Amino acid sequence: MEKKLMKGCEAIGEAAICAGARLFFGYPITPQNEIPEYLSSRMPQVGGTFVQAESEVAASNMLYGASGAGKRVITSSSSPGISLMGEALSYMAGAELPAVIVSIMRAGPGLGGILPSQSDYFQATKGGGHGDYRVMVLAPETVQEAVDHTIKAFDYADKYRNPVIILADGILGQMMEPVTFPEPVRPEDLPEKPWATTGAKGRERNIVNSLYLNPDVLEERNWQLVKKYEAMREDVEFDTYHLDDEVDVMIVAYGTVARIARTAVDTMREQGMRVGLFRPVTVYPFPSDALAEAADKAGAVLTSELSTGQMLEDVKAAIAGKRPVEFFGRVGGNLMAPEEIVEQVTALMERQGRSVA
Amino acid sequence: MQSEIILAGFGGQGVLLIGKLIALAGMDDNREVTWMPAYGPEMRGGTCNCTVVVGDKKIGSPISKRPHHLIALNLPSLDKFEDEVRPGGIIVTNTSLINRRPKRDDIKLVEVPANAIAIEAGSPRAANMVALGAFAAASGLVTLEGLIDVLDKNLAKNPKLAEINRVAVSRGYELGRAGA
Amino acid sequence: MPTVHVEKDRCKGCELCTRVCPEQALGMSEKINAKGYFYPVAKEADKCTGCRRCVLMCPDEAIQVEVKGKRTAPPEALTGAPLHYCPGCTHGVIHSLIGDAIDHLGIREKTVGIAPVGCSVLAYNYFNVDMQQASHGRALALATGIKRGRPDLAVFTYQGDGDLASIGMAETVHAANRGEKVTAIFVNNAIYGMTGGQMAPTTLPGQITSTTRAGRDVKHAGEPIRMVELLNELQTPAYLTRVSVHDPKHILAARKAIRKAFKYQMDGVCFSLVEILSTCPTGWGQTPHDACGWVVDKMTPYFPLGDKKVPEAA
Repeated sequence: MEKKLMKGCEAIGEAAICAGARLFFGYPITPQNEIPEYLSSRMPQVGGTFVQAESEVAASNMLYGASGAGKRVITSSSSPGISLMGEALSYMAGAELPAVIVSIMRAGPGLGGILPSQSDYFQATKGGGHGDYRVMVLAPETVQEAVDHTIKAFDYADKYRNPVIILADGILGQMMEPVTFPEPVRPEDLPEKPWATTGAKGRERNIVNSLYLNPDVLEERNWQLVKKYEAMREDVEFDTYHLDDEVDVMIVAYGTVARIARTAVDTMREQGMRVGLFRPVTVYPFPSDALAEAADKAGAVLTSELSTGQMLEDVKAAIAGKRPVEFFGRVGGNLMAPEEIVEQVTALMERQGRSVA
Repeated sequence: MQSEIILAGFGGQGVLLIGKLIALAGMDDNREVTWMPAYGPEMRGGTCNCTVVVGDKKIGSPISKRPHHLIALNLPSLDKFEDEVRPGGIIVTNTSLINRRPKRDDIKLVEVPANAIAIEAGSPRAANMVALGAFAAASGLVTLEGLIDVLDKNLAKNPKLAEINRVAVSRGYELGRAGA
Repeated sequence: MPTVHVEKDRCKGCELCTRVCPEQALGMSEKINAKGYFYPVAKEADKCTGCRRCVLMCPDEAIQVEVKGKRTAPPEALTGAPLHYCPGCTHGVIHSLIGDAIDHLGIREKTVGIAPVGCSVLAYNYFNVDMQQASHGRALALATGIKRGRPDLAVFTYQGDGDLASIGMAETVHAANRGEKVTAIFVNNAIYGMTGGQMAPTTLPGQITSTTRAGRDVKHAGEPIRMVELLNELQTPAYLTRVSVHDPKHILAARKAIRKAFKYQMDGVCFSLVEILSTCPTGWGQTPHDACGWVVDKMTPYFPLGDKKVPEAA
């Protein structure tokens, strides 16, 4: 199929249409305005609907309603807006509703800034809303992957009857790269959702709900949900770079930072340094087993993020003390240069008493 | 081989557009490309820049603090990015708006009076195209034919403007070749 | 003879001053200033009558006029920091009017302002009073908290159409309904400026924005919301008015309304909301002058000016 040069945000919008979604609900916030803007004109062209809601609270609850009615539906926002969607996320997880939420992270906390960040890793992978729930989280690093992940996210959402978050930063949202799109799914070809509130004609009533006042029933339900979250592990994805042989340092990074780290690895490899990169692609479920296995062949681990250390906790839990795990982060909207990662790795190797070249 | 280029100027000078044209020409040439605009608060301050990376293998970082080349359409852009350019790289300056030469002597300088030539070509707004042509010639990164082709494919809605752009790119290309 | 003083490096070249000068005493410079803009100069200084229309109209506090040794000055309740707004945007005019009201009532040291999310997110840099920064739409909830904790303070919110009438609708309606003794300054420019020109709840039917590229279709997006009229339905006493700042005459009327709104608050009378029709030359894709005309031609028919509700005590 024909290659197009597209901005990450617009490509995500087109991918949603490719996946058969015909409903978008959202609210403007930088740096993801190109998604609603794109879909405001694109949705009507394919017989779909775009609604600019009065707030992210409303937009995310429109998602709840549409999903409950059996439709593929998507929203997008950025950090403060995703905070407001925490309520609906929790309710959708509780009521087991599929939906896709695109989270284009900017720097926080509070109003923070509008520049790229990965400081909403906890918000995406550990909750965002209240209650014992999880959502699947995909973290693309290229515009093509953002397209592929968006399409997959709809399938995962339906497969697990659960919200799925696409977690990216302002770089991916604003960047243009060549992309191709697969053959679009026709909404009418999507399977029926027998649990949806489509009118109780010739069947028992369907109720979309997350209220369980009986503690035993609610407890049972929580354990059932855990089983589902465990089952998501079969769709865990990760990527490795120069990790086939033993390395002195393994860098762990996702999204934009993984790209920067890959440039750093190339530089270090040219200098003869034994360095590789492990990139979680799904960050929930986290590729813990694969990471632990990769760490067995590494002298030490450097986790690098645009946060003060969030994925770091998952990395440490996976490696469980078997290897030293160190951290390098930039925040506030600043990015690290590949050279900074090289410096950090070099310093780490020296601390470990390993020869740099 | 990978080339990282920063293109900078005032908002409205069209630096994002010429960056996109380089990326499109690179894509048509089956190379890996990324185009990344600066979208932070500085956008409101009136300056504007983007980073384009063209390479032969999967591109890592889409931004660069050590670009190979710089296209500076105004003085603040030269001031801001001059020191970051790698030795041996190309700096294209728009002498219509930049009244100084770069301090660096380890770079390849291509000076073009972009606004003056654009006015001759028919529109002062085509200054960006002059600089683009000059850069293409000096760097060899994209061909003149490749640029004209993407111009025709992407900016052909207004035939008069398209012709002005073609003339401006070609004039810039001649100057870049002469200066290189 | 009156003298026009131009602080040229504050100017953003919007030319609103030269347009409102009834004597054509002002013209634009030949040279550009440090920001790259042409700025006004008193080309025919002898024609100046000292009417001060240029002072009122300037969104960047760049012009002062001296008549018989008396020189106009920016309000003490403004910090004087250069404003970040786009050229010709009338946010700056409104800032000056609020500063004037605070000075006029002598309450600078007991005023707390609340900055919203939107173009005026940096308002805390410009008002020379204590300020709090709110999350999007919640300014009147913060105001309630401040006022209930410190009833002696003068509390005002500065909010745009997205902040006050979209995401903050619930907070707005309920603060008004509780009769919070605070002042809401509601800047309605019919578009989301900061995020790049999307539809606002007050975007006019047919108006083109980046999320209504074919124009606002009221069948799907609804009609623009008239906040003053909507709040007027509440039974709680309030001062509700709509003004505009598109020309000096209307700026003077707006000044009066804002002073009144603060006075009602200080006298413990009622909640007050002043809706101010404002321009967004960038978002509307118009020159600053044309944008002022658009306010008159397009906005005022839909958003009629004048007092909608005045408390009985007045």
